[in-house]
Amino acid sequence: MKGLVYKDILAMRRLAGTYLLFFLVYGGLSVAGVFDISVLGGMVVLLGAMVPMSSISMDDASGWARFAVASPTGRRGIVSGKYLFTLLALVVSTVLVGLLLMGFSLLGISENRPIDCLLITLCCTGVALLIDAVLLPLTFQFGAEKARILNTILFAAVFGSIVLLGGAVSNELSLPAPPAWLISALPVLLGLAAIIGFFISYCISQGIYAKKEF
Amino acid sequence: MNNALEVSHLTKDYGSFKLDDVSFTVPGGTIMGLIGENGAGKSTTIKCVLNMVHRDGGKISVFGLDAVADEQAVKSQLGVVLDDCGYYNPFTPAQLDRIQKGIYPQWDSGLFRQYLSKFSLSEKKVIKDFSKGMRMKLALAAAFAVRPKLLILDEATSGLDPVVRDEILDEFLEFIQDEDHSILISSHITSDLEKVADYVTYLHKGKVALTGAKDELLDTYGKLVCSRADLEQVDPDLLGGCRIGQFGCEALVKDRHGFRLRYPDLTVEPANLEDIMIFTVKGDAQ
Repeated sequence: MKGLVYKDILAMRRLAGTYLLFFLVYGGLSVAGVFDISVLGGMVVLLGAMVPMSSISMDDASGWARFAVASPTGRRGIVSGKYLFTLLALVVSTVLVGLLLMGFSLLGISENRPIDCLLITLCCTGVALLIDAVLLPLTFQFGAEKARILNTILFAAVFGSIVLLGGAVSNELSLPAPPAWLISALPVLLGLAAIIGFFISYCISQGIYAKKEF
Repeated sequence: MNNALEVSHLTKDYGSFKLDDVSFTVPGGTIMGLIGENGAGKSTTIKCVLNMVHRDGGKISVFGLDAVADEQAVKSQLGVVLDDCGYYNPFTPAQLDRIQKGIYPQWDSGLFRQYLSKFSLSEKKVIKDFSKGMRMKLALAAAFAVRPKLLILDEATSGLDPVVRDEILDEFLEFIQDEDHSILISSHITSDLEKVADYVTYLHKGKVALTGAKDELLDTYGKLVCSRADLEQVDPDLLGGCRIGQFGCEALVKDRHGFRLRYPDLTVEPANLEDIMIFTVKGDAQ
């Protein structure tokens, strides 16, 4: 399985320039004041979903899975490897975005405190984990190309809801206030939901892949 | 002599195609050639052995281990070359070496480099820039570097020129010098298998048409060359299919020694594997 994760890292290195460009464009626009700095946290979600999907898409195009299934890694190893690689991609993007946001905070570019920046980043990581938990089984079931459409719909739904909610709040729409305990427990609940969701997703993907033929 | 591979009553039903009750054995220290026309079930059989598809019935054991229940232990002893090596394309052989090291527990980097050098393959060149022959040699180098006991090759020599094919066949013969090593090779290039195979299994429409030691098969089967009038006098049960032309007829004789005793005036030539395949298909159509 180590070899499969290493292969994914090698393959993704070629796309590193594209991801760096994303960082620069979003970072630049945020610093220029086009977006709120905290929107950069969304980069974790974006990368968290894009990196594993691109990796599976490249596997599909090259017929890599046929080779990997014939190796001692087998079906279980392929799924485990992809989930491990997804976690790795999330950790890297969380660290990068977290450092960037906290850097902006310390430099006075952002009004948020460093601790808030960290919390925003971690919450985005939780959301990314939940999105990956939905996307990975779909991708294993339908292949990267079909899953890409579902990916777009999911992204549009999540970000659309956030934008609509933000717009409603800024227009002073009075929404029922959630209880205080829920607000304070929200990050922990999100974290728990993300971890449990990711684990359930892993089990579902194993079930899907066990039935696949190559 | 222990068997490297035992396939027993293997069945796989795709609806439009069925691999039906396929049984054969690859004894240790031998090369088994799996022949058959396109779509006969050679690749499906290999996929079943590698657990790439789920079989509907039958049993497959490799060195006495069940191919499904002991999948990891079985696959650790296999070197596999599939017909398409596109999965290596974005990498260099040096990167492939590091990838494989993390996949195969007994991967031998030194041996891999030896084969790269032997096949004149650059370690630093991106694999997509290799020719088809070079990619196949690379796939073989990777399969040998696993230090396998059983090498499984699916159409490994198809699409290659005769010189490269001959080099690769020499490698198989060298590999088999170790009596613990065996090879299962599928190909529709029967001349390759005639050069190297000890045993042959012929798959036809998903069923085993014949299986056995290659030399015995070639010694048993024959090709009758005669006129149409002579052919009409021959007992059809002795024939496996025939080709009737304007200037003469050819037919596959199932037992050429017995046939000679019964029809001493007719000419029966030795048949090769291609003759056996072609006439069996013709016999089926007739």
